[in-house]
Amino acid sequence: MSPGAPPSPVRPAPATPSQGQARDTAPRRRPRRRRGSRTERLAPFVLLAPAVLIIVVLRLWPLVLGVNFSFTGDGDRNGTPVGLDNYVTLFADPLFRTALRNVGLLVLLLPVAVAIPGLLATFIYLRTPGHRVYRAVYFFPAVLSPVIVGAIFNLLLAHDGPVNEVLGAVGLGSVDWLGDPDVAIFAVAGVHVWATFGMALVVFLAGFANLDPSLLDAARVDGASLAQSIRHVIVPGLTRTIQFVFVTTMIGMLTSMFGLLFVMTSGGPEGSTYLPEYYIWVQQGQFNQPALASAASTALFLIMLLVGLAQIGVLRRAGREV
Amino acid sequence: MGQRALWSAVLVLGLALSAGCGSAGVSSSPGGAADKLVVWDWKSGDPAAKAYVDKAKADFAKGHPGVEVEFVAQPFDQYYTLLGAAIQAGKGPDVILFNGGGQLRDRADSLVPLDDYVAADRQRLAGWDAFAEDGKTYASPVTLQGHPLYYNKALYEQAGLDPEAPAATWDEFVRDCGVITDKTGAKCFAVGNKEGIGIQFFLSAMGSAVLTPDEYDRWIAGKRDWTSPAVKRIFELWRQVDASGLNNDGVNSTAMFNDAFAVFQSAKAAHVVGLMSDVGHWKDFAEFLDPADVGVMAAPVVDPAAKPSLPYDGGIGYGVAKWTRDPKLAADLVRSLTSTEALQAFYADAGAIAADTTIDVSAAGPAVTAISKGLATGKPALHVALPSKTVDLMGRLSQQLLSGSVTVDEAVAQLAASDAAS
Repeated sequence: MSPGAPPSPVRPAPATPSQGQARDTAPRRRPRRRRGSRTERLAPFVLLAPAVLIIVVLRLWPLVLGVNFSFTGDGDRNGTPVGLDNYVTLFADPLFRTALRNVGLLVLLLPVAVAIPGLLATFIYLRTPGHRVYRAVYFFPAVLSPVIVGAIFNLLLAHDGPVNEVLGAVGLGSVDWLGDPDVAIFAVAGVHVWATFGMALVVFLAGFANLDPSLLDAARVDGASLAQSIRHVIVPGLTRTIQFVFVTTMIGMLTSMFGLLFVMTSGGPEGSTYLPEYYIWVQQGQFNQPALASAASTALFLIMLLVGLAQIGVLRRAGREV
Repeated sequence: MGQRALWSAVLVLGLALSAGCGSAGVSSSPGGAADKLVVWDWKSGDPAAKAYVDKAKADFAKGHPGVEVEFVAQPFDQYYTLLGAAIQAGKGPDVILFNGGGQLRDRADSLVPLDDYVAADRQRLAGWDAFAEDGKTYASPVTLQGHPLYYNKALYEQAGLDPEAPAATWDEFVRDCGVITDKTGAKCFAVGNKEGIGIQFFLSAMGSAVLTPDEYDRWIAGKRDWTSPAVKRIFELWRQVDASGLNNDGVNSTAMFNDAFAVFQSAKAAHVVGLMSDVGHWKDFAEFLDPADVGVMAAPVVDPAAKPSLPYDGGIGYGVAKWTRDPKLAADLVRSLTSTEALQAFYADAGAIAADTTIDVSAAGPAVTAISKGLATGKPALHVALPSKTVDLMGRLSQQLLSGSVTVDEAVAQLAASDAAS
């Protein structure tokens, strides 16, 4: 398309037919809307095209391919359709079931993971002595890579590490933080919360910026205790923020713990810290079963979708009630 | 207004289309060119492997002056994931570095059988079995990997034991360990089972001291009797060793790489089942302990009918991808990569027991001498013969055995089922 040609033929084109239409066929039907020619009507679609294409080609299409791939076989049956075989294998695998159980556990731990930054942000907002220092200190871990965080806590939580030495000195027995299957998942989740709550804290502080301080003052004048102020003023005022933090924290917990798991437990001990993400990686990378891994990815996607929608639903209702 | 919208639309559409063309039009597969070979590995980026790569390249250039060889070093923790993607796409490197055993066997259908091309290397190199599947060879061995039982001679001396005559039977061994712990405070074994690797090393190091030679050979040949008392005995031993306090504390939360080796290196434990090549081996230990203090002993006999042997296999080796243009050319590169000169450099710089049995290793200290003596009577390691899924399951079960949440009988039954299914 040469740049010189279009201007002269295009410009008159929109004017003539629409004027004619307006005059002859529908004089009373809002002529201004019709004035936009075909080009103008097409423009939005063309302008949207890059964004839509990027989403369709780079997001949705691969997603469809991945789901489709999960219905084919691995190894000898590579490329042949196998129906639901991969899903049957998946749900028969005790490791994947452990991974799903851990997802459930993380969802249950979610309120704690949201409450911690929420409470700390409240204290900072209420200008607890030293709040400036705390604000910086709390955010600090958020800039560390999960691998570094994992390595640090590997040392701290080692069986002969400093945490156990302190416990021993106090007279409590040592705990095999990363070696005990009942404890390890909590240890890893705890470290994940420690490493990421800074981000949620910042979001909460941003939410506080929009909170009307006169409400808090009024509550104080009315003699509300700290707990009452939080319950009746701060929480209702921050519903949207809490909602946002809930959803992002959950996504973070389910999709960003790979680095920590990889460094801290490798899915162990006894496979007790498997998460779907780690399972996918093991099946694809270690056992060369990409189709099974695709099935697990699809399952993870559906779980995320369901949990996310349910959360938004619950929180929205809670928001309305407040 | 209309004109402006149209112009932007034209511009955006044009950009979008040209961007689409750019990504769709270029399809350069690394192994595409006829006069270029691409090698994937996780070694060539290591400065210690530079001399090896240079020697191999020079050797190959002698026979094929016009052919360019490109080494692409991938990060090891992503290696098989990346390779899986290449295999899925049906294009990728021409020559591929593999770990012996399951990692290669799982992908043998993407490789060219090399038997006709490397026949001349058969005698010179050792460790072929780890790269064979159904009687065909898919890679040539570069290093040997095995699991010698290392011990700290200095601790033996401190405890008043003869460091040159370590225990030959299990009962004596346990007694010696008691003496060492009493006198020096050091534990008997340094073990890390966080990744489930501790059991692999233990199984292979102790296997030949428990199984009869016949049972051992049948295991390697794939006729594994998981219900036999001797097999159960190995897992029972694994549990007992930990329960009776012979191991360092927190085995399930200690990483074999490299926390367990650190325990041995810092003389907090007298024995460790280590490796022969790459890491966790004689060269690593000698950096912290006096090389003369690093000994290698035969596994102490548990069943008198057993005959301890050094467990080892081909460690890493190069294979040729099925999609390469000229398999003969790629196989020639594999031969250069396993030439005596190249392997000599690998042994000397990278600290590996090279697959070439003609290399002289006598200067490297008593541990290497003991290892190379054991090569002649050595046998493939027990865990390497297992399917990778069974090895993975064994890792988890071994952790459960230590925590007491599974019995030896249950563990062995699960392993038998997994082995049969693979």
